[in-house]
Amino acid sequence: MLNQSLVIARKEVIDGLRDARSVLSSLMYTLLGPLVVGLVSLSPVLRGASRSPLPGLISVFILVSAFAGGMNVAMDTVAGERERRSLLPLLLNPVQRRNVILGKWLAVSVFGVAGLMFNLMGFSVVFATSEIHLNAPWSSLLFAVAFGMLTLPLLAASLQLLLSTVCRSVKEAQNYLSMLMFLPMGIGMFFVFVPAARQAQFKFLPLAGQQLHLQSLMDGRTVPLFHSIVLGCLTLTLAGLVLLVCADRLERDESIYGN
Amino acid sequence: MIEVQGLEKSFDSRLVVKRLSFQAPDGAITGLLGANNAGKTTTLRMICGVLKPDSGTLLIDEVALDSLGRQRRLGALLDHIGVYSRLTVRENLTYFGRLRGMLPTVLEKRVNEAISILGLQSIADRRTFGFSQGERMKTALGRAILHSPQHLLLDEPTNGLDIPTVRSLRELLRRLRDAGTCIVFSSHVLEEVRALCDSVVIISNGRLIAQGSQTEICSETNTDSMEEAFVKLTSSQESSIC
Repeated sequence: MLNQSLVIARKEVIDGLRDARSVLSSLMYTLLGPLVVGLVSLSPVLRGASRSPLPGLISVFILVSAFAGGMNVAMDTVAGERERRSLLPLLLNPVQRRNVILGKWLAVSVFGVAGLMFNLMGFSVVFATSEIHLNAPWSSLLFAVAFGMLTLPLLAASLQLLLSTVCRSVKEAQNYLSMLMFLPMGIGMFFVFVPAARQAQFKFLPLAGQQLHLQSLMDGRTVPLFHSIVLGCLTLTLAGLVLLVCADRLERDESIYGN
Repeated sequence: MIEVQGLEKSFDSRLVVKRLSFQAPDGAITGLLGANNAGKTTTLRMICGVLKPDSGTLLIDEVALDSLGRQRRLGALLDHIGVYSRLTVRENLTYFGRLRGMLPTVLEKRVNEAISILGLQSIADRRTFGFSQGERMKTALGRAILHSPQHLLLDEPTNGLDIPTVRSLRELLRRLRDAGTCIVFSSHVLEEVRALCDSVVIISNGRLIAQGSQTEICSETNTDSMEEAFVKLTSSQESSIC
């Protein structure tokens, strides 16, 4: 029942918000990008440079922020529950395991989307107060960036939840989830520094597609709405498949015994 | 009534519950007694629907139900009592009530009743972070009885509790039994079983070795106490395995 998933999601969001330290650390992660870009923009080397590296840097930070917002909640919500021995009491209730995962995914996604939005707000402040110039005004890009990126935190949430479900402790989950942050970073940097790799076939590949989407917007080119919608649907489909694997993992006996 | 028929479970090719069968009637406290690693917790986890049996049948009120069906009819407090430390007692209970689909008006009433029964009024609106073991155990017990289950499974619920809390828990269980609840109570502490249980199921190495009232078991083993009967039964079982 979707209702049970919403009950779980609501509890996880409240629980997550009350963990002030985690909220603060996620917020710092998401605002780190605008802060770094703001500082780099002060460099005299960049003034008058024909090709600024800032648009590439910005797109990498936006990509990373989609993974940063929900990381702590994802870690806490399954690996943390198992470690604190509250996962078994939850599974004693008449709730399908896939509904448990769906509820937790919704909560992680809320934090992931919030992280992305804070990041974009941070960049809005940086653009309003600095002399960074893109090929198109940020105010006109903001909606297209937000729309194009919206499904990425949902995919990130499902991947983070899968790692949290597989890991046996918060510490182990923290290791793997930190490593996962390098995925958007690596893909982002790859396309920034190897422009020749920006092939058309990557446009619809989740994560790579979002990076190319961002790069196009930063370069002042338009991205067809159809492309964004197809990429969003493919990203959501992949997120759904990862969630099915998550639910399957939670069905297994190992999720209960051995802890 | 809970009926277990030919239940088997193995982990990594190690058989931990072996063709186990027993009955736990309504209006009675049935003690599941066994040494450490006897298979008590695994058995309770299978009845509760969190572990899948390899074979065997589990009947609740003479009906074979799937795991969700059993969970709807059961309340359980197993060895993992984890409560959410950033939620208050009331929020913890309300969360589980909502998961069970209880209507808001009924839920609020039941939460207040559970808080009152367990004597948690003074800490009901405090977050459970920093609670003592007894307070956490009471909160977890509230979660198990919130929906007034007809069947209640408890896995060593007195572990780590102080004497007054153990006494109040015993009183609560007797009240529930007198109201017709079927209670299965697992323990490796003979004193607990002696004080509470109407009938006893003794398990050793995953096998049933005796079932009946304490008097019946003592009489069958020609012993004067449950302790002697337990030692006699489990040692004979172990020597037959060797």
